[in-house]
Amino acid sequence: MAWNKKGLTRLVQKIVGRPDDVRTPDERFRDEALPQLDAVARYAVSLTRDESDADDLVQETFLRAFRAWNQFIDGSDCRAWLFAICRNTYLRSSKREQRVIPCEDAELEALGAAAIHASAQQDGLEDMFVRHDLLAAIQRAVDELPETFREAVVLVDLEEQSYQHTANVLGIPVGTVRSRLFRGRRLLQESLIEYARDAGLAKPGSSGAAEAS
Amino acid sequence: MKGHDMLDCDAVMRQLWDYLDGELTRDREAAVREHLVVCKRCYPQYNFESAFVKALSASRRDHSRPAEIRERVLATLRAEGFAA
Repeated sequence: MAWNKKGLTRLVQKIVGRPDDVRTPDERFRDEALPQLDAVARYAVSLTRDESDADDLVQETFLRAFRAWNQFIDGSDCRAWLFAICRNTYLRSSKREQRVIPCEDAELEALGAAAIHASAQQDGLEDMFVRHDLLAAIQRAVDELPETFREAVVLVDLEEQSYQHTANVLGIPVGTVRSRLFRGRRLLQESLIEYARDAGLAKPGSSGAAEAS
Repeated sequence: MKGHDMLDCDAVMRQLWDYLDGELTRDREAAVREHLVVCKRCYPQYNFESAFVKALSASRRDHSRPAEIRERVLATLRAEGFAA
């Protein structure tokens, strides 16, 4: 592959940093890492499920990030880099063993979504996410997901990270991100449809509607 | 011909999440979109999943004391020598 001048300059900048960047490392940290604080705080709450634990985690994350700032590759995604530090810190501090849950193939999970949709249709719940305010129910369902699936859902669905960035944060292949994400979404939908049935949101006359007394 | 083959329902269902997440190549994305707009079977499911993903994304919780946590982080960093 032949490099043109522009491409070569970009590559060199990626490796050695921009020669015209006169900011000190601390200033670059201020401009690139600190603006991610709200996102990291949100991610920390989703990991710990407790705000005061999350506060300690955020503090520790930024301290580690600051100490390792010279390792950050200029031009790469700072938010994903901080998420990875945050998660590693969390796993280390809580001494959590990452339990590996056998996971079905992502393709099968994707096809499984059709069955869930059919069941929602049967109960007249196909527009449940548009017609009803399910905010609290969704938050609770996410909190109750097994950690392996919750991690993928939080990063992709709540933090809007790409599959590749999520894979980098979690240290797993992209294919595993897909299967965990799709399974997580399926579990969420099952739990929310169940909630909707219990809450009497199913359309009268459908199989999921409460019996008239 | 628009440079890609028409997909069948099964192929679209397999790629629906990737489509909603913006993870497909431009050609694949166009092929899925092309199928969805004409398919009475797939379109309702696309609608359902799309509404679900939007509701899920809207459910994220911000930290309730952002200013306080920012101050704490800055104090920790300054104690470590951060000067910007």
